[in-house]
Amino acid sequence: MKDIVRQKIGINVDVMDLLNEQIAKEAHSAAVYLAMASWCDHNGLIYSAEFFYKQSYEEREHMLKIFKFINENGGTAYSPEVSNINHDFNSLQEIFETALDQEIQISKSIHNIVTKCRKVMDYGTENFLQWFIQEQMEEENQFRRILEMFDLMGTDGIALKLIDERVKHVE
Amino acid sequence: MNLLYKTYYFSSYQCDQRRCFYIDFGHKQVKLSFCQLLALRQKVQTIDIASHFDKDLNYSGIEIITLCNREHLFVFDTLQVMDLKQLLKATFGILELNSLVLH
Ligand SMILES: [Fe+2]
Ligand SMILES: [Fe+2]
Repeated sequence: MKDIVRQKIGINVDVMDLLNEQIAKEAHSAAVYLAMASWCDHNGLIYSAEFFYKQSYEEREHMLKIFKFINENGGTAYSPEVSNINHDFNSLQEIFETALDQEIQISKSIHNIVTKCRKVMDYGTENFLQWFIQEQMEEENQFRRILEMFDLMGTDGIALKLIDERVKHVE
Repeated sequence: MNLLYKTYYFSSYQCDQRRCFYIDFGHKQVKLSFCQLLALRQKVQTIDIASHFDKDLNYSGIEIITLCNREHLFVFDTLQVMDLKQLLKATFGILELNSLVLH
């Protein structure tokens, strides 16, 4: 019997399912960052707002990267539904902590897909995901550095204003 | 045509010559490209079978599924849905096995 599946699709079908789940996670991240940007904007933290608008845009780019990868390799990418976006925060520090936690969850999720790739010997997708592993390390570190500012400078009054201004220099 | 898997209600086939798949639904046979088979797999996978046992979530206990860009329409009851889930899971399992044997 011919291997028609392999003729049609370059990635493992179960890995494709995980990639589709990852698409939904990236879309969710994009929406979460947008909610955070809104909160910052309303609370006069304009640089942090700008920072989260940019983060949101990047998450959408991540989503598209995976989306196109699936389709280019013969699979089917599914446009995700996004729900459950929280808009209530108590402080800027809480926002950055939540953001770091979210990035850690995303890192774990990517690692989980890589583990699956190795199990089913889908080395093409594993190679594709290397970029995401690197990207996640950078993003986690970025949030860690911002959170360190709160440790050093405090969380209210002038410190908050100073931290907000410094956020724009974090890359 | 090669039989891939057979369940109580349905069976799946691969046709080497036409490079496509067939699913026999009992009253009719549907030809599917790989893409369409993937789409069916996704639809069936996402059916929440637990909702069939909850009157508030799925009152009638049926599932309406369209196939091949709505060329076909099927109405399945709970048992058939469970059967279909089994069919697709096993069919893709067999296809993966075939791939392992060949390469
Ligand atoms: Fe991301
Ligand atoms: Fe991220």
